[in-house]
Amino acid sequence: MGNPLALAMSTQQPPDNGAANLESSSTSAITLSNNDGVQGKKQPPPEKPSDIRRRSHIILSFWLIVLCLGLPIWWKTTTIYRADLPLQEMLDWSDGKACRPVFPLHISIQANALQEHEAQNLLRLTQHALDDLNDFSGHHLRLQLAPPSAAGHYDRDSVLTIRLAPGETTTAKFDPHEPVLDITYPSNGIPSPTSSSSPLATYVAGQLRSAFAEEQAAISSLLSANSIPSDHRPQGFSPDASDALSKRPARSLRYAPTYHLTFSLFTSGPLPSSWDIEGAIDQYMKPVLDILSPIHNFTIDTQVQLYATPGVQNEVLNKEDLSSFINAAEWPLSPSIGGAPTINFIVFVGNQTIATLSQQSPGEGDDAPASASHSWLIPQWGTVYLLPLPHDTTHLPASALKQPLLAFTSHLLSLTGIPQSGSLPLRLSTLARIRSADLLLRASSTLGSLARLALALPSISIPRSVADGVAKTIKHLRLACESLGEPEGLAHARIAEAEAERAFFEKSMVGQLYFPDEHKIAVYLPLLGPVAVPLVMGLINELKAWRKRRWEAAEAGKGKKME
Amino acid sequence: MDGAKVTPGRTAGLYAGAAVLRLAICTLLPQLPDLLTGRVEISTPVTSFKRLQEGLFLYNHNVSPYDGGVYHQAPLFLPLFSLLPDFSSLPIFTYLLYIAADLLSARALWRIVDSGEAGSSALFTSPRREKRWSGFTIAALFLFNPFTVATCLGRSTSVFTTCAILHAIAKAVSGAPFGAMVALSFASYLSMYPLLLLPPLVLLSYDRQRPERATKSALKFAATCVFVVAGVLAVLFQMSYLVTGSWEFLPSTYGVQLTLSDLTPNVGLWWYFFVEMFDSFRSFFLAVFWLHLASYVGGLTIRIRRQPLVVLTLLLGIFGIFKPYPSISDTSLFLALVPLYRHVFPLMRYTFVIAAVILYATFLGPAFYHLWIYAGSGNANFFYAITLVWGLGQSLLVCDLMFAVLRDEWEVERPEMVGKEIRQI
Repeated sequence: MGNPLALAMSTQQPPDNGAANLESSSTSAITLSNNDGVQGKKQPPPEKPSDIRRRSHIILSFWLIVLCLGLPIWWKTTTIYRADLPLQEMLDWSDGKACRPVFPLHISIQANALQEHEAQNLLRLTQHALDDLNDFSGHHLRLQLAPPSAAGHYDRDSVLTIRLAPGETTTAKFDPHEPVLDITYPSNGIPSPTSSSSPLATYVAGQLRSAFAEEQAAISSLLSANSIPSDHRPQGFSPDASDALSKRPARSLRYAPTYHLTFSLFTSGPLPSSWDIEGAIDQYMKPVLDILSPIHNFTIDTQVQLYATPGVQNEVLNKEDLSSFINAAEWPLSPSIGGAPTINFIVFVGNQTIATLSQQSPGEGDDAPASASHSWLIPQWGTVYLLPLPHDTTHLPASALKQPLLAFTSHLLSLTGIPQSGSLPLRLSTLARIRSADLLLRASSTLGSLARLALALPSISIPRSVADGVAKTIKHLRLACESLGEPEGLAHARIAEAEAERAFFEKSMVGQLYFPDEHKIAVYLPLLGPVAVPLVMGLINELKAWRKRRWEAAEAGKGKKME
Repeated sequence: MDGAKVTPGRTAGLYAGAAVLRLAICTLLPQLPDLLTGRVEISTPVTSFKRLQEGLFLYNHNVSPYDGGVYHQAPLFLPLFSLLPDFSSLPIFTYLLYIAADLLSARALWRIVDSGEAGSSALFTSPRREKRWSGFTIAALFLFNPFTVATCLGRSTSVFTTCAILHAIAKAVSGAPFGAMVALSFASYLSMYPLLLLPPLVLLSYDRQRPERATKSALKFAATCVFVVAGVLAVLFQMSYLVTGSWEFLPSTYGVQLTLSDLTPNVGLWWYFFVEMFDSFRSFFLAVFWLHLASYVGGLTIRIRRQPLVVLTLLLGIFGIFKPYPSISDTSLFLALVPLYRHVFPLMRYTFVIAAVILYATFLGPAFYHLWIYAGSGNANFFYAITLVWGLGQSLLVCDLMFAVLRDEWEVERPEMVGKEIRQI
C-alpha cells in the first residue's frame, strides 16, 4: 500500500484540460483560464521548518522500528543454529581410524590329567599352531590354562573351554549345553617337552579353527565391506566359508533392535478355532527368546483365520509350490507393524503335505525339509508349518503345538543370522560378536555420513539434539570398541547405533536438506522489496534535502561575511 | 437527513428499531444466526461463538477451557456467559446481551459525533466542518449497516471489542482520560491489537482534557495513561488467572494471535501467506507482519498530530486489513467512524471505485468460498484472490480518507489553492 504520509504536498497545475477537477466546476474554470498549459511550472512555496521537522520525525519513526525491532528479529529468527559437531572425530570413526575392531577370544584349557609343565608345553605348541594357521589379525584366539580347581565347570570369562581327557583315540565333541569342547587323546599323544610339534596340538588347533571359521569369515567380510584398512583383512577365504557367507545374509533378516513375531493359525475349514498359543510360546519358545534378548527385543501377536485358502491347492506340495503357498492377497499378514520388521510364523491346518525327499529328484534336498517334512523357511520372511489334524479338533492344546514351535524356534535362529555350525551356546556368542561388530560399523558409517552432510551443506541447521546424539554415539562407540566381544560391547554398540540413527534422521534437519542461497531472494524480495522502496527512497531524499540545506546555510553564512 | 431535530422519542425509536430488527431476524429465521456463526467472514478463530461455547462447556465441567486447543478468547468471557441461562434452551438472553453491546456502541458513537471532534479538534478547525451528519444519522448508519447486523447475529465476540474501543474514544473526547484508558485496557484485554491505539488515544485525551483539571506536561500525562492501562491490564490478567487457575490463557489467546498457529481461512491476508511459508522463515515473517501493522502507529500519529481522532479512524481501518484474524466486524467499526468525516467527503477522489470494489468483494467473497470448500470447483486461490480485492477496497478507502483529511488541513495553510488539482511530489 502506498503511503503518502512522508510526502509533502505540492501544487501542480493540471497538465491538460481533460483532467477535470472533481470539485466545483467554477473553480476549475478559473484554473483553466489562468493557464493554457504553455506556461512554465510554478514553483511551490518553500516548506515551513515545522513541516520539515515533522517529516524527519515520521521517517525516523519508521526507521527506528526497522532498526531497533526489525533487524534484531531478523537476525534472531533467520540465523541457522549449527551446533558444534566433532566432525574430524566422526570422520575418523567412519574411516575406521578411531577403532581397530579386535576380538581377543580367550579359550581356556582344562587338562587335569596332565602335569603342569606338560600342559604348558601343549598349550604353547597349540598356540603356535593356531598362530601359523591364522592370517586375520582382527580375530585371534588366545589360549590359557585353567586352574585345576575349576575342574568340572567351564570358565565364564572365556569363550570356549577345552576339556582334555585321556581316551582311546583322538576325538572332539561339543557339549550341547555349555560352551565346552571335549577332546580325548591317546596316552602317547602328549608331546615331549623338547619336541617342536605334536599331532595333538595340531589337532586341537585345527578343531578350534574350524569352530571359529564361520565367525571369522563373517566378521572379516563385514570389515571389508566397510572401509577398514586392508591390513586387517584376511588374505583369502576358504570356498566353503564364502559360500556360507553369501547364504547367511540372503536368509537372515536385516538387523533391527526389535523384531515383531506374528503367530498365525490358518485353517482350511471351520475347526480348530482356538489354540493355546500363549502357553506354547511360554513353554517352547520363551527360553530361546530369553537368550536372544541381549541382541534383540521381541514383540508378539497372534491371530486365527478360519476358512483360509492357500495359494496352492495341490494335495502334495512340490518344492516349486512352496514359494507360492502364502496367499498374500487374502491372508492378513501385514508387512510390518510399527517400526519393527515382522517375522511371520504360520501354522496351517489342512490336508496338504510336502513331497518328501524320495519323491523329489535326489540331490536337490538342501533347502527342502528332509528331517521335518512339515515346515519350510521363507528367507527374510518367516516359516510355514503344515499341521495335520483330525477333522473334529476344536482346540489346539499347547502340547500339539510343540513340534511347530520347535521348528519355528530353530528357524527363528537362522532368520536372525546365527551361524550354522557348532553348539548352540557357541553359536549364540558368535552371533553376539558378529552383531556388535556390525552395529559398531553401522553406527560409525552413519556418523561419517552425518559429518559429510554437515560439511557439504553449510546452510543446514544442526539442532542441539543432533549434537547430543553424536556425543552419546561417540561415547558408546568408544566403550563398545574397548569391550568388543563381551556382552557390554554389544549393549554399547546397540545404544550407539540407535543414537546415530536418531541424530541422522532428525526431523528439522531433513526438511531443509536443499535450500540454496538463491532461494532466499525469492523468499525476501516479494514482500520486503516493495516495503523497502518507500523506506529507502524516503531516507535518501531526506538526507539529500538535509545536505542541501546545510550547503545553503553555509553559502548564506559566507555571503554575510563577504558583506 | 442533516440537521433534523433529534427528539428523545426519535432516539428511542432508533434503538428500538435496531433491537427489533435483530430480534425479528433471530425469531423469524432461526437458522440464519447459526449459519452466520459458521461463516469465516464473521467468525475467526479468536472471535468465534462456537469456540466460545466449546470453552464454556469445558469451563463448566471444570476442565481448563484451553485444553482442547479450540478456544482462543479471553478467560473473563467464561464467567460472564455462564451467568446467562443455557444458550441451547434460552438463546434469547445471549441475543439480548449482544444487542445491548451493539446499542451501547451506537450510543458511544453518538457521543463522539456530538462532541464535534471530527470537525474541530483542539489544534485544528476545519473550514468545512459545518457540513456534517447528526449523531442520529451516524448511529443509524452503524446500527443498520449489514456488516454490523451480521456480526451481531453471528455472535462474534469482537462485538465487545468494538464496544470497548468506541467507549474509549467517547470517553477521551468527553474529557475523561481515566475512563478512556480503562475502556482501552478492556479492548486490549479482549483482542490485544487495540493496544496499538494507545498513542493516538493518549493524544486525543490530552487535547480534550477538562480545563479545570488539566495536566500541562504531556510526558507526565502520557506516563499516567500508560500506568493506568498497565494497571488495569494487570488486574484483568490477575482475575483471569483466578478464573482459570493458570497462566495458560496467555499463550492460548495472545500467543495464537502472535504466532498465527490457527490457519483457518478468513478475510485477512495472513493465512494464505503462512500456509505457503517455509517453516524456517515463519517466525521471521510473523515478526515482519506484526511490525508492519505496528509501524503505521508512529507515522500516522506524528503526521496528523492535530487530529488524533483521524489517526484512530485510519488505524482502525488499517487493522481491519492487516491484522492476523480480521473479520467484517473490524470493517464495520471502521465504517462506523468514516461518516464522521462527512465534511471531507467532497475531497475524496475514488468514492465510486471504493464502493464498487467493496460491494464486489462482499458478494463474490461468499460465492468463491463456496466454490472452494463446498462445490470443490475452485481452490484456495479463488478465496484468497477475493480477500485481496476486499483488502484493496478497504485500503483505497483508508488512503482516500487520509488524502482528503490532509488536503483539508493543507487548504487552511494555502487558501489560494482551494479547489485546484494537486499532485504529490
